[in-house]
Amino acid sequence: MAQSSALPAEQYNYDIVRKFTIMAMVWAVLGMSVGVYIASELAWPFLNFDIPQLTFGRLRPVHTTLVIFGFGGSALFATSYYVVQRTCQARLAFPWVAEFTFWGWTGGVALGALSYVSGITQGREYAEFEWPLDIAITLVWVSYFAVYVETIRRRSQPHIYVANWFYLAFIVAVALLHIFNNLAVPISLTKSYSLFSGVQDAMTQWWYGHNAVGFFLTAAFLGMMYYFVPKQAGRPVYSYRLSIIHFWALIFLYMWAGGHHLHWTSLPDWVSTLAATFSIILLMPSWGGMINGIMTLSGAWDKLRSDPIMLFLITSLSFYGMSTFEGPLMSLKSVNALSHYTDWTIGHVHSGALGWVALVSFGSFYHLIPRLWEKKMYSQTLIYVHFWLATIGIVLYITSMWVAGIGQGLMLRSFDDYGNLAYTFIETVEFMHTPYVWRALGGAFFVSGVLVMVYNMAMTLRAARREQADVEAKLAAKLAKA
Amino acid sequence: MSDWLLWFTSMENSKPLALLLFFGAFCGVLLYVFTGKHRTRRLESYKYIPLDDDEPQPSRTARAEGSHPIPQGDGQ
Amino acid sequence: MRHEHIETNSGLMLLLILVVISIGGLVEIVPLFYINETIEKVDGVRPYTPLELRGRDIYVREGCYLCHSQQIRPFRDEWLRYGHYSLAAESQYDHPFQWGSKRTGPDLARLGGKYSNQWHVQHLKAPRSVVPQSIMPNYPWLLNTELDTSDVADRMRALRATGVPYSVTQAEYEANVKKFGEAVAVQLDISKARDSLFNQARERDFDGLPGQITEMEALVAYLQVLGTMVDFTKYDEGYFATFR
Repeated sequence: MAQSSALPAEQYNYDIVRKFTIMAMVWAVLGMSVGVYIASELAWPFLNFDIPQLTFGRLRPVHTTLVIFGFGGSALFATSYYVVQRTCQARLAFPWVAEFTFWGWTGGVALGALSYVSGITQGREYAEFEWPLDIAITLVWVSYFAVYVETIRRRSQPHIYVANWFYLAFIVAVALLHIFNNLAVPISLTKSYSLFSGVQDAMTQWWYGHNAVGFFLTAAFLGMMYYFVPKQAGRPVYSYRLSIIHFWALIFLYMWAGGHHLHWTSLPDWVSTLAATFSIILLMPSWGGMINGIMTLSGAWDKLRSDPIMLFLITSLSFYGMSTFEGPLMSLKSVNALSHYTDWTIGHVHSGALGWVALVSFGSFYHLIPRLWEKKMYSQTLIYVHFWLATIGIVLYITSMWVAGIGQGLMLRSFDDYGNLAYTFIETVEFMHTPYVWRALGGAFFVSGVLVMVYNMAMTLRAARREQADVEAKLAAKLAKA
Repeated sequence: MSDWLLWFTSMENSKPLALLLFFGAFCGVLLYVFTGKHRTRRLESYKYIPLDDDEPQPSRTARAEGSHPIPQGDGQ
Repeated sequence: MRHEHIETNSGLMLLLILVVISIGGLVEIVPLFYINETIEKVDGVRPYTPLELRGRDIYVREGCYLCHSQQIRPFRDEWLRYGHYSLAAESQYDHPFQWGSKRTGPDLARLGGKYSNQWHVQHLKAPRSVVPQSIMPNYPWLLNTELDTSDVADRMRALRATGVPYSVTQAEYEANVKKFGEAVAVQLDISKARDSLFNQARERDFDGLPGQITEMEALVAYLQVLGTMVDFTKYDEGYFATFR
């Protein structure tokens, strides 16, 4: 994997990739720390401190937005801009527009977080941005689309590589979802009412919500996987033909599954049945993709012993496989009757978000950083430390949420011998205290892993800068002598 | 003779019809992708794209669509 | 056609992606607007009064929906704990819907009338003073913050634009009288919005502070109307099942 020294930096626009990579890590630290804080609020409610801006209800959207759109979004911008240039062998189109996507996205996420703590929200999960920010985000997204597609059009490689299909589908689908889910009538700069109401609004929101998972947190990160796993392994992806099936089946099926968030509600049964059916079928392309990724290593499994980056990537795929099995399971109406409204769902989301999304991003970043700054990672050992902190954190998190969620679900539906409810609601809240403490601890493990990575990255960047300064000083000295 | 054609026109058959259509399309794609020795070789050759980008690329222009040579290296 | 045609043509690929991802949403969402049985035919469900509407805005602002659902499912335990399962009709004027996705606290779909106003005020101010094991944050500032009523008419106008029957013209008002009765219709008249709000607050005094209209007033007014609009004794059980 010889890096052809200074050449790629001129051939490709790495500056924008570096910016997004750094911001992704900033958002990771902020968003995940807020996550640990609100998890602690649930365990120890005094942490709300009677301060409106700190209450769980206002901070929770801050957590989800910073993590999904801040961290996840920046990681996707960074890797997609890198992958599209490398696989198309073309420099990024419209550099100023790409620059705008960086400032627009970063500003949008920051303003969003500030608006939520001030109580400005649309009240739609994962789409809390009020309408002015929605419009700003739409502009950024259109710019992103233009940069991405134009770069593809300028490619010198005749084929568009699979990774780019996934990124493309992600860009198109997110545009579609964002626009339709945020239709609203504004009354002022800071308040609007959604255009739809009740059952139609619910279905639109969960069509959006589920596909935010399907396209933002899955399809796009699969694009990441299709480039970085083969690249890090130094071998091509297991099967290109499987990736064709994987791609078309996945993007087709995902769009049907949103209704499973509304089982047993006032949503008509035919929609939720249809959604459940498609959710089950969705298992197949999901696992097809996982197998395609993991089998890339087939014949070179020893890399798992010597390469911590490979460890990140393959573990992320395993968590992907696990949560895409758990998802269809929870979409069965009978299972959903127990799991819905409980922390099982929260645990499921985090096995996907921490296990899959975050780990595949960290792995890709560890691959990227030495190439972006032309400097080896400061410490290989710290990558291992990060890996183990993250893994322990995830295991603590999802196990405690299984206990809390399944426990609460079972308590709520149990009856005594006379057919009365066996537990009051507040008894289940009491029961969940212990798992909530463990969950907060799991989150703290995960964040400390991220901090280790930030330190490792900062030391690498510092060394790179010092080296650069040395080279320049030598050059200047040479020039002075001449 | 066209009695069976009427089946398609009735609305309550829209669900099995859609199922048939989607499943048919799926099987078609599956057959297309996984049959044919030549096609297999051709399709699988594209998976080397991300590994191409490190070396300077003199051979690229020579590469016509569909006749992508399988580069050396590990793999099948 | 070869797959290569798609792989080498970004326009074609984009078009196909758009087609493939559109089908699911089109099939599942569009019919919800046209199939008549989607929303049950039932009497009593009305738009929120100006005071309740402002209370709902506060409910959304504080992110209550992140811990409380407003959607009771048709199970025996939920029936015993919360009451009749929720109807689509009951949230037909909810922009946005607040069904929620997580019950860190109990469901609130039929909270209205279960507790007194004083209980709600005390509970919102300091939840652990009434439910010691509660993990809900305290909301003391709701009692010290005066309710902003300046733009309540604008809010109703925006909702009217989405189809909520708040009235502007005489004809609309009369239609409301017919549908909801005169007492309600007056409250839905946008031109009288602030007066209606003040009247309701004065008559019911939800926050226990006579002469003051706090955010607590509005929020408790909203909580007290939740799930109370439909009189379920008027319908037999089989009736609502026909809409599912």
